[in-house]
Amino acid sequence: MKAVATLERETRLLQGNQAIAEGAIYAGARFYAGYPITPSSEIADECAKRMPELGGMYIQMEDEMASIAAVVGASLAGAKALTATSGPGFSLMQENLGLAVMGEVPCVVVDVQRSGPSTGLATKPAQSDIMQVRWGRHGDQSVIALCPATVRECFTLTVQAFNFAERFRVPVVLMPDEIVGHMRENVALPLPGEIEVVDRKAPAGPPASYLPFKPDEDGIAPLAAYGSEYVFHVTSSMHGTDGYSNNDPANAAWRVRQLHEKIERHRDEIVLTQSYYTEDMDVLIVTLGATTRAARTAALEARAQGIKAGVLQLQTVWPFADREIAALGKRARMVVVPEMNYSGQVAGEVLKALGPGADIRRVNKFNGTIITPQDILDAMLRPAGAQTQGNQP
Amino acid sequence: MRDSRLEIRIGGTGGQGLILCAKMLADALAAAGKRVAQSQTYEPTSRGGYCNSDLIVSEGEVDFPLATALDCLVLLDRMAVKPSWPLLKPDALVLADTRLCPELPEGNRDVKYRVHHLPLTRSAIELGSERVANIVALGALAAISGMCERKALERAVRADTPKSFLDLNLDALAAGYRLGEQEPALAATAP
Amino acid sequence: MTHATGMKYMKPGVLPHMWCAGCGIGGMMGALLRAFEELGYRNTDTVVVTGIGCTGKLDDYLLTNALHTTHGRALAYATGIKAFKPQLKVVVVMGDGDSVTIGGNHFIHAARRNIDLTAIVLNNLNYGMTGGQVSGTTPEWAVTSTTVHGNPEREFDICALAETAGANFVARSTPYLGWEMKEIMKQALEKRGFSLVEVVSPCPTHFGRNNDMKETAAMLRWLGGRALPIEDYRKLPQAERKQHFPVGTLVDRDEPDFNTRYDTIRARATGMNVR
Repeated sequence: MKAVATLERETRLLQGNQAIAEGAIYAGARFYAGYPITPSSEIADECAKRMPELGGMYIQMEDEMASIAAVVGASLAGAKALTATSGPGFSLMQENLGLAVMGEVPCVVVDVQRSGPSTGLATKPAQSDIMQVRWGRHGDQSVIALCPATVRECFTLTVQAFNFAERFRVPVVLMPDEIVGHMRENVALPLPGEIEVVDRKAPAGPPASYLPFKPDEDGIAPLAAYGSEYVFHVTSSMHGTDGYSNNDPANAAWRVRQLHEKIERHRDEIVLTQSYYTEDMDVLIVTLGATTRAARTAALEARAQGIKAGVLQLQTVWPFADREIAALGKRARMVVVPEMNYSGQVAGEVLKALGPGADIRRVNKFNGTIITPQDILDAMLRPAGAQTQGNQP
Repeated sequence: MRDSRLEIRIGGTGGQGLILCAKMLADALAAAGKRVAQSQTYEPTSRGGYCNSDLIVSEGEVDFPLATALDCLVLLDRMAVKPSWPLLKPDALVLADTRLCPELPEGNRDVKYRVHHLPLTRSAIELGSERVANIVALGALAAISGMCERKALERAVRADTPKSFLDLNLDALAAGYRLGEQEPALAATAP
Repeated sequence: MTHATGMKYMKPGVLPHMWCAGCGIGGMMGALLRAFEELGYRNTDTVVVTGIGCTGKLDDYLLTNALHTTHGRALAYATGIKAFKPQLKVVVVMGDGDSVTIGGNHFIHAARRNIDLTAIVLNNLNYGMTGGQVSGTTPEWAVTSTTVHGNPEREFDICALAETAGANFVARSTPYLGWEMKEIMKQALEKRGFSLVEVVSPCPTHFGRNNDMKETAAMLRWLGGRALPIEDYRKLPQAERKQHFPVGTLVDRDEPDFNTRYDTIRARATGMNVR
């Protein structure tokens, strides 16, 4: 790594969405299928330009259901593949995303979060798909979700998203908010080789005995590609280790458990967080996405006023960083959870992690504008037990 | 970190090239080693409607990336006044187009801004296209504020302009500099 | 001379299959697998993509690569496979629900894109798996579980839709014409670009029972009587055409397929890269 670090680094003014496309390419993605939607379209634009330059493919599908379907198809043919969308399109993708979970198909879906419900405020930011990302599909299943706060993280967490998808044979959702997706920052992008790139585990035994859903010791089954000597079946229906339909209750129980356990077992590897000013803190701000930037400013301003505030940024949203929050929360007299939604989707999980009795201050904004450092400071300064005002007019 | 922070807004309507303008400025500032974060607010239409493009400049990594207290405001349409005026810092620099933004709010008696009314769109029209008002504004802003090197800005304009528009954009930048250089150095005044 | 049986593509021990007596899906599958055999298809480079419903169960019998997908989306999955790996032979087997009802938009766009897939649509005129409800291809006024007083809507002409949308090859057959169906499938499999074979098929359990054709033979006779070779069909006066549907090869053309066109895009993109 040292030799790499001494190389001349290119600093570019890059938009978050462009950085996601660049990160995908860095990770080895060579297939993009999508349908344009604000505020994610720049990812499509960039991939339309870059993929064919690299011998890959950009294909604009007829809708978002088709987009994620084509991504899954391409992945089974051996591609690292992605699609990008926003609320309405992400809703349309849910059923086929469920197939990716069931069929253990590595892929990355970018959901650039915008204000809802429904068409909502198409050009305005939100952080209100947090529960949809986790639970949006029918049936009981698990995905991994990551959320960047800076343009650089748009790049690095996209690479990470592909790495997790490939390593754990699971769809990974990258869920920037509109602010981060559309923001431009001058960033020094990682050089080739600087970030590890993980490829899916290929089968090694004799083709005749390949079982596409038989996990190895690490809980993950190797995945062949259509067209190799390993012939295999993938199905949305309940199936056995051979990929053929199997309705046996014991098999069904094993499958559902395995789909969850392969993530739970590796949860410490998957849960990524960033801490700022937490060494001596007694007020903890738990945050994600663009709100992290407000939280960091708020923490510094609080410190100027004598309040020892610290920030825990959830780079991995799912699986939830409950242990990390509990460990820091133990040292905090107060936990502030700013998020751009009405319901307190993150705050509810924080409450689960800390248990009743914790002084959890919700800061919610759901009018299409960002939470400011002042909004967070105000929550810290409120008397205990005082209710949040919710949204300002 | 807050001390070195500079907040700039280019406000107007969709289609005026506000984002491009901020991008060029960002490039010029980045070339001087500054860290920049550029963001925008816009309506769900490609043309028309209120639009602004904000640039936060800092010596280190920009923490909160959106505008909270503007040091500089460029107004290319009256629509941008209302959402931007409350964000002005005392002593902020304001450039307003004489044609599209002729009137500004009555200032609070205690808060003073450095206001320059400039014929930005008129200069652009004289150059042959109202569409380069954004570049005229860029030149004027750079000349009055002195926030970046002219050479760096010219490089940024060259990098982000298609060949067929390059001469026009460079002329527009020069026109903006002329407008800015003619302006007296203002002490803050209530508008 | 030995005849192709298609058995080499079938998973051992799966027969008898799950479809009802008199259903056309088994016959369609037999014809498709014989066509595979006669064309020398290999399991390794063949992918069969299926949707949901009676026809969607077909992949469970096969030894080729397979992807059993969600309802209506089979063509979109197949598009991803073929677009990324053009050397694969990708065959999409769907019912009338999958192809032109819930998945109609994907059907139109796969044909428009002229992507090199072979789509086999088993049109049994109703939703068999869920109990014989009306579909987008149920004939007008026909009785189904959800049109007990007759279907007030008109049916889709799947082949006309594929032709208009831009498919390179469009053909229709029925299990009544078993050998011919296999020959048509071979043509479709060999064709570069989007090819469609519609197999109008009996569903004695639901459609037949609901429409006075409870016996398989009655349904087959009904289909056989309505099916007319395209040459004969064209000779019919307009008024009589409504009682029939044309079978055989309806469209055969050689527009460039999607992957061929995309190669041009790649060439242009890399050309542009040389600054």
